[in-house]
Amino acid sequence: MGALETIYRTPVGRGLARRTGLADPPVLRRGRVLPSGPVALGELADGGVVRQALALLDVRVIDPIPDVPENRTRDDKGRDLPPAYQDSLGALVIDATGVREITHLEGVRALLRPAMKGLERSGRIIIVGMAASAVEGLEARAVAQALDGINRTVGRELRGGSTSNLLRLEAGTSADDLAASLWFLLQGRSAFVDGQTITVAPRKPGDPVGGTPDREHPFTGRVVVVTGAARGIGAAIARTFARDGATVVAVDVPASGDALARVANEIGGSALQLDITRPEAGARIAGHVVTRHGADTPIWAMVHNAGITRDKLLANLDEARWAAVLDVNLAAELRINEVLLDPGLPGGLADNSRIVGIASTSGIAGNKGQANYSASKAGVMGLVWAMKEELVGRPITVNAVAPGFIETEMTAAIPFAQREVFRRTNSLSQGGQPVDVAETIAWLCDPANGGVNGQVVRVCGQNLVGA
Amino acid sequence: MARVTLDALPGVPALLARAAAPSLRRPDADHAVLDRTVLVHGYRSEPERLAAYARVCGFTLRDALPATWLHVLTFPLQAWIMSRSDFPFALPGMVHLSNDMTLHRGVGGREPLTLEAGAMNLRPHTRGATVDLVGRALVDGELVWEGTSVYLAPGTSMPGEPVQGLRLDAPHVEPSQLWQLPADLGRQYARVSGDINPIHLSPLTARAFGQKRTIIHGMWTHARALAALEGRLPDSFRAEVQFTKPLSLPGSARFGASESDGGTGFVVTNPDASKPYLIGRLGRDAGR
Amino acid sequence: MAAATVRTAVIVGGNRIPFAKVGGPYAPASNQDMLTAALDGLVARFGLAGQQLGEVAGGAVLKHTRDFNLTREAVLGSALSPHTPAVDLQQACGTGLEAVIYVANKIALGQITTGVAGGVDSASDAPIVVTEGLRRALLRANRAKRPLDRVKALASIRPRDLAPVPPAVVEARTGLSMGESQAITTRKWGITREAQDELAAASHTNLARAWSEGFFDDLVTPYLGVTRDTPLRPDTTAEKLAALRTVFGRGDDATMTAGNSTPLTDGAALVLLAEEGEARARNWPVLARLVDAEVGASDYVTGAEDLLLAPTHALPRLLARQGLTLADFDLVEVHEAFASTVLANLAAWEQAGLGVVDRTRLNVNGSSLAAGHPFAATGGRIVATLAKLLHDRGPGSKGLISICAAGGQGVTAILEAM
Repeated sequence: MGALETIYRTPVGRGLARRTGLADPPVLRRGRVLPSGPVALGELADGGVVRQALALLDVRVIDPIPDVPENRTRDDKGRDLPPAYQDSLGALVIDATGVREITHLEGVRALLRPAMKGLERSGRIIIVGMAASAVEGLEARAVAQALDGINRTVGRELRGGSTSNLLRLEAGTSADDLAASLWFLLQGRSAFVDGQTITVAPRKPGDPVGGTPDREHPFTGRVVVVTGAARGIGAAIARTFARDGATVVAVDVPASGDALARVANEIGGSALQLDITRPEAGARIAGHVVTRHGADTPIWAMVHNAGITRDKLLANLDEARWAAVLDVNLAAELRINEVLLDPGLPGGLADNSRIVGIASTSGIAGNKGQANYSASKAGVMGLVWAMKEELVGRPITVNAVAPGFIETEMTAAIPFAQREVFRRTNSLSQGGQPVDVAETIAWLCDPANGGVNGQVVRVCGQNLVGA
Repeated sequence: MARVTLDALPGVPALLARAAAPSLRRPDADHAVLDRTVLVHGYRSEPERLAAYARVCGFTLRDALPATWLHVLTFPLQAWIMSRSDFPFALPGMVHLSNDMTLHRGVGGREPLTLEAGAMNLRPHTRGATVDLVGRALVDGELVWEGTSVYLAPGTSMPGEPVQGLRLDAPHVEPSQLWQLPADLGRQYARVSGDINPIHLSPLTARAFGQKRTIIHGMWTHARALAALEGRLPDSFRAEVQFTKPLSLPGSARFGASESDGGTGFVVTNPDASKPYLIGRLGRDAGR
Repeated sequence: MAAATVRTAVIVGGNRIPFAKVGGPYAPASNQDMLTAALDGLVARFGLAGQQLGEVAGGAVLKHTRDFNLTREAVLGSALSPHTPAVDLQQACGTGLEAVIYVANKIALGQITTGVAGGVDSASDAPIVVTEGLRRALLRANRAKRPLDRVKALASIRPRDLAPVPPAVVEARTGLSMGESQAITTRKWGITREAQDELAAASHTNLARAWSEGFFDDLVTPYLGVTRDTPLRPDTTAEKLAALRTVFGRGDDATMTAGNSTPLTDGAALVLLAEEGEARARNWPVLARLVDAEVGASDYVTGAEDLLLAPTHALPRLLARQGLTLADFDLVEVHEAFASTVLANLAAWEQAGLGVVDRTRLNVNGSSLAAGHPFAATGGRIVATLAKLLHDRGPGSKGLISICAAGGQGVTAILEAM
C-alpha cells in the first residue's frame, strides 16, 4: 500500500475525501437477504411469466405506481410532480416480455420514473424482456435491444447501492427456468452485479430440478470442486458453496497446502494439493472424488478459479511469463474439462452438472501490461461459448463470471491511484468483495438454474471498462 | 496532516515512560491526537516472538495468527498515540474497560501487514471519560483484522451525558477449567507483548502505581480465553470482551463457555465463580 | 473377547509436515504444535473435520514432562472431534512404526475401525533437564520439615550441579552416542566410506526426484513456510560427500561424516488406518494392508552384538512366520539412521542366510539421510511412502520396513498393496 492510499484509508483521509466530493461508498446488502421494502411488479402488455416465477419464490408483490398524468400531483408553484411510493420500494420488477413496439417502451419509462428515487438502499430494479432471437419483426427486435440501453442507464443513475439488471428470455422459457435468476437478483447475493444483461433459456432436457425444495441449501449432497481455493476469491467460493450445503473439494498448489487445509477444515470439506498444470490433474481430481465420496457421487460443479498474473508490458514480456499464465488460466481448464467430461469416468462430472470458469474485465477490454492475462481470460470466454455448442446434447451448463475490480491480494499489486480509479469508475463507487464473485458462481451452479448457459456474467458493479 | 507513517513499530518502554510523565499532560489542550492515525507498513511476524506469545497464552503455533496477536502488534502504535503530549490523559490510572475485535479472515504468519492505530470517540463516562484506541491490520489493502479497546480515565471530568460502555451478561455456565497464574506471568506477558505497564510487573511497581497487588494484563486473559476455545474458533469471528475486575498475581481463575444461537458466551472468574474477571462473547464476523 | 475373526487393517493415506533441520524454521515450534499441524493436514486431506475416529496413537522421543498427554492434546487442538481418544507410545526411533502396529492390531481385533498413528520430534525444542545432583537436592529440600534441614539440603548443591544438561542421544548402558556406537559397527562389518557416500547420494537423488515428480503432493502439508524437506540436497553427489571430514570414530579408518549420517531434525508424520470394510464403505483409498510385524532386540551392552542391528533378530522370525524371503519383496525400506547402518544390516541379513536385498528396490524415493530423521516421525513417513509406492505398483506388491532404534531394538513390518 502506498502513501496516497494510506492517507485515503485513514478516518481523516476519508473525511477529506468526503469534503472533496468523493463520498463514502454505500454499504451493500449481501448474502441470502431479500430487500426489506415491498417488491412492486409492473406488467406491460402480455406478460405473466414473471408473476408466476415470483409466486414460485413466495415473493409477495404490490402494484406499481406508474408515472401517468392521473397519478401526478402539483407542488405549490403548480409544477407537475411524479407519483411517489409511500414506503421505500425494495425492488421494482418489470415484466416487459410482451413489449414489441416502440410505443410500449413508454410503459417502461412510466414504471421506472417513480422508482428511481423510491428505492431503499441496495434496492433492485429487474427488467425482464425477450431475447431479440425470440421475437419476430424488425421493430420487436429493435425494441428488445432498447431494453438493454434502458437497463444500463438505470444502473448508472441509481444511487445507494441499488442495482439494475436485465433478464432476456429465449422462446419457451418457463417460470421455473426464470425463478433462480430472479431469486439471485433480488437477494443480496447479487450485490456487485449491476447493469448486466443475462439471457435465460429453457433448461435442457435432463436438467430436471425445478423450484428446488431447499432453496437455502441447494447443494446439499452435491460435490463441488473449486481450484485455487486456499485464499482470496477461491476461499470465498469454497465457503459460499459450503454455506449452501455443498461438499467442497478445495484444490490448490501443494505449496499453499497449509492455507488450503485451514479452509477445508473450516468448511468440513477436503483438501487436494495439486498443480493443475500437471497432465494427470483431471485424473487426480476424479480419483480424489472417488476416494472421498465414492464412484457413484460424481462432481456436480467444477469451478475453475485458479489463476495467476505475470504482468509485463509486451515490450518486456518473455515466453516464460507468457506460457505460465496461459497454461494455468486456460490450458489447464481445457485439459481438466476434457478428462472430467468423459461420461464413463468415476469421480468425473455428473451427467447433469455445471462448469464455471473465471474470465475478467481485462479479457473483455484488454489491460496494459496484461497481454498474457487478457489472452487467457478472453480465451476462457471463448471456451464458454464453444462448450455451449459442444455440450448441446448434454444437460451440462457452462458459464463464466468476469470479475471487475475485486479487493484481493492479486489486485493489490495494482498501484493505488489506478486502483482507486477502478474502485470509483463503476456505478457502486467501490471495489467488489471476493464473496460477490462467489455468490454469482453459486447462482450459476444452482441446480434450479438450468436456464443460464453459455454466458459470461460480469461481477463488476457496472464498471466502465469494456462496458 | 494527521497521518504519521513510522519506519518500524516503535519501542514501547520509552513511550510508556513518556506517557506516564504527568508534566507533559495538558488536558485542556486541543486534542489533535484524536485526529491522527499512525501506521507501519510491511510488518512481518517474527516467528520466535510469535511462538513465545503462543506459549504464554496457550495457543498452538499454527500458520494462522491468533486474533489477539494482531492486537499485540498494534499495541506499540497505540502506545505511541498515548504518549503524545496532546493525548488527553496521563497513562497511569487508565483502565482498560473492554475490547471488541473482528478477525475478517485467517491471516497467515508470513503475510506482510500494514498496522494502524488511532484514537477516537472521546466521551464522558459515569466514572470519568473514555477514549477508544482502534487498531487495524491490512494485507495489501484488504482489512483483515480490526479491534477497539475502550480505556477509562477515572475521575476526569468531561461535559455531556455519560455514554454507556459495553455491558455483557456472563453466561450461566459451570466453569470447566482452572488456570494457575504464576507470580511472574505479568513479566512473561510483558516480554512477549511489549506492554510493560508497571502494574503488571511486580508487587513493588504495582504499588507504586496505585495497585495493591500485581495484576495480569487484560489482554492476556482475553488471549488465554480464546486459546481455551481454540479448536472451535472459525476462520473469521468477532470477539467482544468486558474486563470486569482486575485479576491479581499469583492467582488462579476459572473459565467456562457455553454455546447458544447467537454465538459463544464465555467468562473468566475467581475460583468460587462468584466474581467475573472477564466476560466475553464470540460471534460471527459482521462484515467489513 | 467377542471378536472371533481377525480383520484386515489397511493404510488409507498419510500426512506429514516437511522435515526441517534442527535450529531451523521449526525451532520455535513444540512437539504439540507440529503434531497438531500434521493432524490438521491429514484431517483436511480426508475431509475428517469434526469427525470422531477410533483412536490416535503417537509419541515423541525427546519429550517434555508437561507433554505426558502429547497426542491427546494435539487431537484437542486439531479439527477432529474432541471425542477422539488418543494414546502416547514410545519406542525410540521405532515409535512411529510401533504406533502403526498398535493401531493396526486394534483394528485387526475389531476394537476400532479407524485410527491415526505416527509421531513427532523436535530436536530444537528438546527438554533441558537439571543435573541429577540439583534434582536430588531440590527434592530433599522439598521434603525437609525443619528450616535447618532445608538449608542443609540446599547447601549440598555444588556449582557443577547448576549447569543444565542438554539432551543427548546417548545409550544409558554404554554411555556411547548413537554415532559412536555405529562407528564400532561400521568398522566391525568393514563398511567402506565409498559405499556409505554412494548410499547417501542415492538417498538425496531419489528423494529429490520424488519431490519433483509431485510424489509428496498428497503426503505432505507445508508448515511455517516450509514446503519441502530442508535437509534435502538435490545436487549432492558421492564425490561431493567424499570431501567431508569424518565426525564419528577415530583414526585414519574413520568413515562416518555429517553427509552419511542423518542430521538432527524437527518434524511430524501421521498415517490414517482403517479396517478394510470400513475404508471401502467410506470410499477411502485402500493403499496397502499391514500384513505382519515383529520387533527384535540385540544384546549390545557387552559389545557382543551391535546396537543398531537388532532388525537382524526380528527379520528371520517375521519372514519364517510369513513363509517369505527377501527376494519376495518388491520394495524394501530400511531406515537410514546412518548410511553404514543400512549397509551393516544388509550384510548381517545376508550372513544370517536371509538373502540379498536388490539395491534397486531399496529406499527408492529416498530415506532419512536426505529427508532427515525426527525420531518418532520416521515410522509414519516410511509407512505412508511405502504404502503409496506399493499401491502404484499394483495389488499384491509387497514391501518390507526395517527401523533400528535406540536400546538395541529393531522394528520390522510387511505391507502388501491392495
